Amino acid sequence: MAELKHEPKIAAFLCRWCAYAGADLAGTNRLAYPPNMIPIRVPCSGRVEPAWVIEALRSGADGVLIGGCHPGDCHYVSGNYKARRRVELLRDVLAGLGVNPARVKLVWVSASEGVRFAQVVRDYVEEIRGLGPNRGEFGVPEEVDDRAGRIAQAVEQAVNHG
Amino acid sequence: MAKPKIAMYWTGGCGGCDVSPLEVGEAIVDVLSQVEIAFWPALMDAKRADVEALPAGGIDVALINGALRTEDNVEMVRLLREKSKLVVAYGACAHLGGIIGLGNLHSAQSLVSTALGPGWHAGSPSFSANGDAPPPLTAGVVPLADVIAVDYVVPGCPPPAQLIGLFFQTLLGGEMPSPGHVFAEEKALCDQCPREKEDRRLEKFVRPHEMEPDPDRCLLDQGIVCMGPVTRGGCEAACPALGMPCTGCVGPTRKAGDLAGGMISALASLVRAGDEGEDAFAREDEVLAGLVDPVGTLYKYALATTWKRRETGGEDA
Repeated sequence: MAELKHEPKIAAFLCRWCAYAGADLAGTNRLAYPPNMIPIRVPCSGRVEPAWVIEALRSGADGVLIGGCHPGDCHYVSGNYKARRRVELLRDVLAGLGVNPARVKLVWVSASEGVRFAQVVRDYVEEIRGLGPNRGEFGVPEEVDDRAGRIAQAVEQAVNHG
Repeated sequence: MAKPKIAMYWTGGCGGCDVSPLEVGEAIVDVLSQVEIAFWPALMDAKRADVEALPAGGIDVALINGALRTEDNVEMVRLLREKSKLVVAYGACAHLGGIIGLGNLHSAQSLVSTALGPGWHAGSPSFSANGDAPPPLTAGVVPLADVIAVDYVVPGCPPPAQLIGLFFQTLLGGEMPSPGHVFAEEKALCDQCPREKEDRRLEKFVRPHEMEPDPDRCLLDQGIVCMGPVTRGGCEAACPALGMPCTGCVGPTRKAGDLAGGMISALASLVRAGDEGEDAFAREDEVLAGLVDPVGTLYKYALATTWKRRETGGEDA
């Protein structure tokens, strides 16, 4: 029996001025890219709330792509910079939870970069395919999970030999 | 009107909630004279059978504190729901999962072997001749509302006297708000905070023990991660007023939604390393990396609300 292959599901929050326009351009140019991405148009990458990304991952998205304007190009001056700092912090939190931080990615795509947009999606789908399915819950790797064990050992040592 | 019959029950908690009504001070005597205590294990001897013997609706208000950590917790709160007209999630653990909820960072099996040693099992303990055994752990910690319908929330770790007072005043006044009401402010804690806010630029995170904060200036302005902007007011900013940052025990404002998510947004807006732009990225990242223990800081009380664990053991990449 043929085994069902896991197809990654990717939620993409795309800024309406740059990345979404880039996606449109890829479409009008009939550039092919995998259909694994669900595009969501947002006013600005800086509008994407960490809670939305968390909700997407909890709901079974295998990866979340956030597309914004190149540095210096933000329609609202600095929304993309804010998005970058948010993603940076969010990835730290996700790593602490045992969720691979690569499941959230921020990319810069301009309105004229249809070709780049298609390539970004192709690359990200492959990257996420490599990570396998996200279980939408905790997946704590062994070395993180053993933290409690190490603390208990340290406490025991301190009590017995301290 | 007959005195309302109240119950107070603890599940996975520390006992602080059971003691918290004493914070109200003398007024608690008035309150106690106006209610009848039907069941309160921390105060008086009563067993599960006593609750089972009650008719449905035999308890007017059940205040339940603690997160749900064992199968016994789950059975007891279901029983209390059946017997109670109103159920109140009392305290941060029942409301959000609380500090107990941080247990979700580890599998139940890993928690048991850490606490009791190797060889102990999370699932089915049967290690005593007379059948006495601690109840099996659930796969993960969940807040009360994940298992039974919750009518009201009295938040806090433990609930501050003002909010306990507010709840009993409302209850004894007879006019209850619509279900789902959280007995705290809708506005953020900053609104009640006496500290002065400036135009914030955060160039470094500082932990509370690393500095003696200026008594008048906003703690966030001084680099201390204070959860005030995303946390409901109601405690009159008790911690910030004393120089300690808010850790979010009263829970998120409706607007913030997820405590960590909201606070990430807030911090990302404040952090700067000189002028914004591509040249500042590396230095900004250094500032952001200075946040020690992001999960424990930002999800101290609400981890189990957002992140669940569905398997007792097992790992994943």
